[in-house]
Formats: sequence, structure tokens, C-alpha cells
Amino acid sequence: MNASLLLAVRKAILTVLHDTGRSAQAVESDHLLASDIGLDSLDLAQAIVLLERELACDPFRSAGSSPTLRMRTVGDLVTLYEAALSPTAATLPPVLDH
Amino acid sequence: MSSSATDFLSRLTDVPVATRLAAAIDLMAQAFPTRTAIVEQAGSDQRRTIAYGLLAANVKAVEQQLAAQRPRGVVARQREIDALVATVAACGRQQVPLAVVADDSRDLVGALQNWAVLDDGLQLSAGPTGIGSHAEHRREEAFDPASAQVVVATSGTSGPPKLVEHSWDSLLAAARLSEQWHGLSWLLVYDATRWAGTQVWLQALLTAGTLVVPASRAPDCVARAIVEEDVSILPATPTLLRRLLTSAESGLLSKMKLERITLGGEATDAQLLAKTQAAFPGVKVTHVYATTELGEVFRVTDGRAGFPAEWLGKTLPGGVRLTTRRDGELLVQLSRDTAEVATGDLVERRNDRYEFTGRRSDVIVVGGAKVYPRRVEDILRGVSGIADARVYGLPSAITGELVAAQIVLADPLPAEATPESIRAAALTTCRTALEPHSTPRLLDFVKHLMVNTSGKIPRHSSRL
Repeated sequence: MNASLLLAVRKAILTVLHDTGRSAQAVESDHLLASDIGLDSLDLAQAIVLLERELACDPFRSAGSSPTLRMRTVGDLVTLYEAALSPTAATLPPVLDH
Repeated sequence: MSSSATDFLSRLTDVPVATRLAAAIDLMAQAFPTRTAIVEQAGSDQRRTIAYGLLAANVKAVEQQLAAQRPRGVVARQREIDALVATVAACGRQQVPLAVVADDSRDLVGALQNWAVLDDGLQLSAGPTGIGSHAEHRREEAFDPASAQVVVATSGTSGPPKLVEHSWDSLLAAARLSEQWHGLSWLLVYDATRWAGTQVWLQALLTAGTLVVPASRAPDCVARAIVEEDVSILPATPTLLRRLLTSAESGLLSKMKLERITLGGEATDAQLLAKTQAAFPGVKVTHVYATTELGEVFRVTDGRAGFPAEWLGKTLPGGVRLTTRRDGELLVQLSRDTAEVATGDLVERRNDRYEFTGRRSDVIVVGGAKVYPRRVEDILRGVSGIADARVYGLPSAITGELVAAQIVLADPLPAEATPESIRAAALTTCRTALEPHSTPRLLDFVKHLMVNTSGKIPRHSSRL
């Protein structure tokens, strides 16, 4: 797993927790986003926007991929960005709505 | 002055409506040819003035060209206000159809087949499709330019700009021609080619007044223009007034001799009204509710936000009838024989008032729940250290949209405050006052809020 992507995801999640008045906690790749960390869909939407600013990439807007199916853990999120940012991701349809 | 004002008014109201602007300029040019009609680039080193005598001569010059060529219609494409005024006055008196089209609506003039064009040089020239003669009438599908007297483009606040037909009667309907309004100094911060702008300069020049056009909308420039030109009437959007109050040099604010502030274009909130009264004690604040399509619908003069609840469902003096749809959208019927028009503005009853909660198209939908950006903005503006705020929807694949905010910090910041502490206070305040989906998930600091050419905050979603 890409360590710098894990760091970026961890930072985004900690910002979400901070902004919503919750205390910081450990964020590890095998943690479940919902039940371990307590993120709801709004929290996740915020994390995605923060990550887009950080990484200039939003895998959820790459048509063709259906990322929500496999996004239960922090590690799933990291993998998603890994895939979207990898050179082979160029075969995905381009992002349309910039 | 009062007897000359009476005389001026009686002579003006004697002439046909379409002729009135040219007549008002002529009357002033005869009696006071050197009096300033327009101050351009006010508040800057490039300040220049146009006297009534010169303005009247320009009107005549345009009229001679119109009389000689009798174009089917004229598209006014001026950037300079004195050239625009001369064109409008001349077309009115010569009964030539006129289109006043703002810079960003130029592509709409394709509908005006064979209309002539007048630019800043005031030389009548052929449009892209040539000049058609007034005699050849051909009906267009979108609207009927042959019968239209005045065409104005909408501001596009709630959709792409479109051309709207008016008559001289409707263009001048809101102008108040009485001694009370005679010879005053008006500030024009609106785009002169938009409905709101036309209403300001028409009012100023129909009442022997002076029109002051600041060199820019920067708060200090606007403030200098108001002080240096002794402006007494300030028509503005709440956004522009808020910027003036929070960002202009306070030394300039205290030197202003404003008598009246007329707010329009956006809803006004109680906070802004209170700040305005504190900054300008005794100033009369009026809130005008108008749209390009309907013209002026009503005005509220009691200095409070919204309008009295008892107005709803009753016919107001002047024949206007207000009702609401079930979702709170305000419906307007201008008179008994006109159709009811949906305004796109949402109102909500609060005690004895109806207050504006935003435009229907501004609503942000987060996971299926509606968020009214104005409500969030009001809360943010109430946080100490925040001068202004814009709330908008950010597209999200997960929740549809997400609430985001741009914040302008107060300058100077309150003692002991830092941007980070203000950010934290803003989030805490929103969490306490709002439902989770309405609380902004992104807060960015910006130097200024983006203001569009109509002086309003653009609402459409923007990504990052």
C-alpha cells in the first residue's frame, strides 16, 4: 500500500473529525470507515473533497468505476486513489465535469 | 429652487413618456447648461464631468442621424454612460426601438435582425446583419422587435441572460417625479445597461440630478466617490453595501452625507439593516423588490427585513397582489388583468413578517435535504471576526452536493483572534445552530467575495 497516500487519507479523515468537533483517533488501513472511525456519508463526502484538493484527483468522478461498492475500510479508500492515480488509470474514461 | 423645480416637473409631465428623458435633459441644458449631469470615473484621478449642455448636444446629434436614416431599431453598445444616455434619450424622442444590451449578453443581439448599432463614438453603423429600414416589419419568433420599444437583457442571476421587452411606460414607471426627488446626487454602482442600472440613471436625470459613477466597485473607490461628490442617494445591492460597510476606510464612512439607501437585487437581512443604521444614523433605508421582467413590484420603507405579513393575499395600493406557492415561492400578480408570475424567490413567515430565505435555484441539496444558503450566510456573518460570507453547493458523488463557504475576515481582526480561531468559532456556531447537513464542510478564507456584474453574489455551484 502506498504510504504517502495512506498519510493523505489519514490527514483528510483527521481534518473531518476535527471540523466536526470529534477528537482525533488512530486511523489505520484496516479500520472500518463507518463503524471504527464513525464516518457518515457527509464526512466521507468532505474527506473526498479534501483529498481532491490535496491530490488533484477524485476517483468518484471517473466514470466507469463504481468505487462505492468496495469502500468499507481506510485501506479501500487508499487503493481507490492508488488506482485512479496510477498510469493505467489513463485507460479510464476522462473526467468530464471539471 | 422649489419654484423652478415645480416648473421643471410640470413641463416634464406634459410631454409623452418616451420623450421625457430628452425633454428633461433639454430643460436643464437651457436653464443650467454648465451644471454637472454625470460624473464619470468618480473617486479616481481620471474623474471627468459631463454638463447638461453637452449631454443635450449629444442627444441632438444622435437624433439627427436617426431622423436621416430611420433604422428599424438601435442596439446601444456603449461602455460610456454619457453615450448610453444620449442614445436612449434620442431613441425615445425619435420613436426608434432600442435595445440596451450588457457586455455579457451581446450574443443575444443576433435576434435583432437588421438593427443599427451605436457605440461610444455615437456614429450610427450597420450591425452584423446590416441596417434594416423601419418600414420593413418582420415578426421574429422569440419576441417581436418591431413592436418592442425598449429591450433590456436580464442579469442572468437565475439562468442565462435573456432579452425582455419593455415599453417606455414600464421603463419609467418607477421613476418618482416629485419635488422631493429634485436635484439630488445619485451613485450608480450598477451596470448602466441592466434594469437596476437604467432605473438609477433615469431617475437621476429625469429629476435634474447628478449621476455619480465610481471608477470601480472597490469599497474605497466607492466611498471616495460618495464623499467627494456629495452623494445623497445610494442605490445598491445588499452585497455591495455590506462590502462598503466592512471594507471601506472608516474615516470615509463618517464623512458621508447619505440621506437615503435603496437596496435591491437581493434580499436584505436584519443584521445588515442594523449595521447600516449604526454607520449612518438617520439615513432612510428602502428595500425595493423588482425583477427585470416585472419591473418594480413593491418597496419596503420601515427599515425592517422582509415585508409585512398582512401584504400577502391582499391587493396592495397600485394593484399588486402577492401570494405564495405551497413551498413558499413568492407569486406576483401586477394587476387584475395580468397573469400571476412565479418569482423564484422563497419567503418564510417569521412573526409579523415574510422574510426572503433565498432563491429556489440557490437551494443546495445535500443527501436529499434542502439547505438555504442565505440562512447559513446569516449565521456565519454573525460570528465575530467574519466580515462577509458566501455559501454555495459543491458537487459530491456521495451526497449530491456539499455545503461550502467562502469567508472574508474582518480587518482588523478582533483582539486575540486568529484566522484559525475564527474558523473554529464559525464551525462551532454552525454546528449549534444548524442541522449537520447544513453545516459547511469546507471553509475557505478569501480576500473578497466574487461579485457579478449585477452586484450580486453568484450562486451557482462551483467546484473548488
